[in-house]
Amino acid sequence: MSKTLKGITLKGSAELVAEFFSFGINSILYQRGIYPAETFTRVTQYDMSLHMTTDAKLKNYLTNVISQLKEWLFDCTVQKLVVVITCLETNEVLERWQFDIECDKTAKESSAPREKSIKAIQEEIRSVIRQITATVTFLPLLETACAFDLLIYTDKDLEVPEQWEESGPQLIDQSEEVRLRSFTTSIHKVKSMVAYKRTNSV
Amino acid sequence: MDDMEDDTTIFSTLKSFKSLISCPERSLLETEPAYGRSDLQKLYTKRVELEEAAERVRSHTSLLQLTQEKQQMELSHKRARIELEKEAHSSSRDLQREIDRNRELLLKIRRLEEREEKANQALNEQMENNKTLKRNLEELNKKANEKDSKLAEADQMISELKDETRRLSQQIQIQESKFSTQNLEIQALQEQLDVQRKKFQDVTQRYQNLQSSHCSSTESELKMKELERRLTLQEQDSVIVKNMKSEVARLPELEREIKRLREENSFLRETKENNSLLKEETEGLRRKLERMEKVMEEKLKVELEKEKLEHELQAWENIGQSTGLNIRKPEDLSREVIQIQQRELNLKQQNYTLNSSIRSVEKAQAEILPEIAQLRAKAQEEQKKRENQDSLVRRLQKRVLLLTKERDGMRAILESYDSELATSEYSPQLMLRAKEAEEMLQKVQTHNTEMETQLSKAQEEAGTFKLQAQMVTAELEALKEQQVSNAEKNTLATAEEVSSLRQKIEELEAERQQLEEQNNILEMRLERHNLQGDYDPVKTKVIHFQMNPTSIAKQQRTEEVEQLKVECQRLRERLRKIEASGGMTTDDTTIIIPPSQEILDLRKQMESAELKNQRLKEVFQKKIQEFRTACYVLTGYQIDITVENQYRLTSVYAEHMEDSLLFKSSGPVGSGSMQLLETDFSRTLTGLVDLHLFHQKSIPVFLSAVTIELFSRQTVT
Repeated sequence: MSKTLKGITLKGSAELVAEFFSFGINSILYQRGIYPAETFTRVTQYDMSLHMTTDAKLKNYLTNVISQLKEWLFDCTVQKLVVVITCLETNEVLERWQFDIECDKTAKESSAPREKSIKAIQEEIRSVIRQITATVTFLPLLETACAFDLLIYTDKDLEVPEQWEESGPQLIDQSEEVRLRSFTTSIHKVKSMVAYKRTNSV
Repeated sequence: MDDMEDDTTIFSTLKSFKSLISCPERSLLETEPAYGRSDLQKLYTKRVELEEAAERVRSHTSLLQLTQEKQQMELSHKRARIELEKEAHSSSRDLQREIDRNRELLLKIRRLEEREEKANQALNEQMENNKTLKRNLEELNKKANEKDSKLAEADQMISELKDETRRLSQQIQIQESKFSTQNLEIQALQEQLDVQRKKFQDVTQRYQNLQSSHCSSTESELKMKELERRLTLQEQDSVIVKNMKSEVARLPELEREIKRLREENSFLRETKENNSLLKEETEGLRRKLERMEKVMEEKLKVELEKEKLEHELQAWENIGQSTGLNIRKPEDLSREVIQIQQRELNLKQQNYTLNSSIRSVEKAQAEILPEIAQLRAKAQEEQKKRENQDSLVRRLQKRVLLLTKERDGMRAILESYDSELATSEYSPQLMLRAKEAEEMLQKVQTHNTEMETQLSKAQEEAGTFKLQAQMVTAELEALKEQQVSNAEKNTLATAEEVSSLRQKIEELEAERQQLEEQNNILEMRLERHNLQGDYDPVKTKVIHFQMNPTSIAKQQRTEEVEQLKVECQRLRERLRKIEASGGMTTDDTTIIIPPSQEILDLRKQMESAELKNQRLKEVFQKKIQEFRTACYVLTGYQIDITVENQYRLTSVYAEHMEDSLLFKSSGPVGSGSMQLLETDFSRTLTGLVDLHLFHQKSIPVFLSAVTIELFSRQTVT
């Protein structure tokens, strides 16, 4: 473990946040039914039972993105991570799960670990993931076949790696936004929110 | 021996007893001189010795008895032993015999066991043989059953085949009858055909005649039409000719007009060139006009300016006269002006220097004022100090007076004491009192000094407060003087400034509130946009993985759509080909479903079955036809089945086509009983019917009679 038992270093914080994103994205994919429920298996993390995909292609894609995201978290150059859910038939964006990341850059200069217990961080992450699960109750149903994409908002001067490319922000046409809980590791603060396309009530 | 032994023992014992008895006497005798004691003791000792001897004897006797008993016992033992040995011998012999018997019995037992085993083995073998035989029996039974069943099946098959053969034969017969009827029909039809051919030929001839007449008529009609057309054409030509004549008449006039027009054209072209030239000239003239007008305007302006300048000149010239400064040339003016300017400059410099001096003076004054205040304060302090010192002086003087008074008192006391220095007893008391008094004095003095110090401190504080108050008053006065000096200058401006400042403050506050509201609104908007995912393109950019699931899914969708389109086209082409060819599909549009082996087998079976069916049908037809023709030829009747169970017979020699006999089969199928039904032809044969059917009850005879009848009729007629 790179984080000392006494405090959180920048690298440890980056690992924690990347881990949270890995489980969070899997939970979102399971809850919203982007992939069939039988392709998910249960794992235990943060003292609760979460879903992880067993699809090899999807796993490969997620590990690629998360590992790159970890580097950027360590460099404090990433500002947002967005999970975009698109309807395949109409090519419309139906949902956007946006995670704002605020990095304390003074942690880059000083290498002293910060005092925050891992248990407290895990407690906060647990409440965030529980809330994500609970939001399913009020989000509109995704009836058509959907696919997802991961967008990352970074600093303008960042060098784009090989397998990545620039893209548009893929905003929703008429959206309703709901702010969810946030958690902080005392170096990185992650705020979460979900935006969904307003359904015209018939 | 034993007795002897016993005797010897008895003798020996007697001897010993006697010896014993003798001994004690000697011992008694011998012991007399030894002891010189009383006789009782000797008696006692003797008695004791005697008793001991008796005891010895007794023991000897017991010993002897015991030895005797022992010897007897030994003897008895020996005897017993001998007897036992004898018994043992006998028993051993018995044992041996019994052992031999045992061995023999064991041998017998073993032989018997062997026999038993053999018998068991034989039993088992026989059991097994039994079992195998039973199995064979069962198998044979099964085979027999199977064969029986097979036989039964074969019997069934045979019966079925027989039935089938019967059916087939029946069918053959039926079809032969059909064939014969059909042949008859064919003949009839052929006759009809001939008749109709003849008719047809007549009709064709008529038709040909008609056609020829038609042709001629059409030809004539055509000729008519052609002639009409020629007529119309000729009329049109005549009309055209007339027009042409009229037009030709106009020709010379037109030629004249052409000449005129050409001349006009040339003339117009020339005029056109002149026109263009004239237009250029007019444009040039117009421009000149405009320039001239401008020049005229400028001239007017210049003249006006000239007048103005003349006036000014005159004014300038007049100035010189009016001011009286000996000015006749502008150079003088300029000189004067320069001089005036120089004077002005000088004056300004003086002004500035005066202002600076005033300011310096004011500054000095300002500096001096506090100094003055300080000096006043110092003076007041000095005054205070002086007053303090005066007060001190007064105190000191008072002290001095007190001290002198005390000294005088003390001196007086000392003198009084000196005068009264007689007693020595009172001196200590007096000394004490003196000391006490001195101590009191000192205390009083210290108290005094303390009070005086306190007083001085209080006075100093009062003095300092007074100084401060005076300084403050001095400052106030200075400020008041300044305010007065300022107020003299800006009495009016302050009120206006205050009001303007208040207005500015109110405006600024209003602006601030508006700006705050706008700020809030903008922050809300920013927050909303941030929530929606907006970003500042200058600072951030959005990137994503190239091979992301959405793009992959979209690619797959497009590929699926294309595949579906290709399939659609293929299916449409196939449909078209099917509709065009009417059921037969060509190879490149067939659905490429690899047919399974079962389907192929089934298809082959189907085809083979169909082929068989067809062949059977052909064969049956042929056979039936052959049979029916044979029947017809041989029996002379064509038998047709018109309705189920009804047979119509038509004779070869029938006079009319409709002459036929109808028979209906009555009774169960295959029994062959027939009944004649009433027909027109049968009514003519009532005699034969009565004779052959009613009396003789034979249908073949009847039929043959009918043929003979008909044949006779035919040959006669």
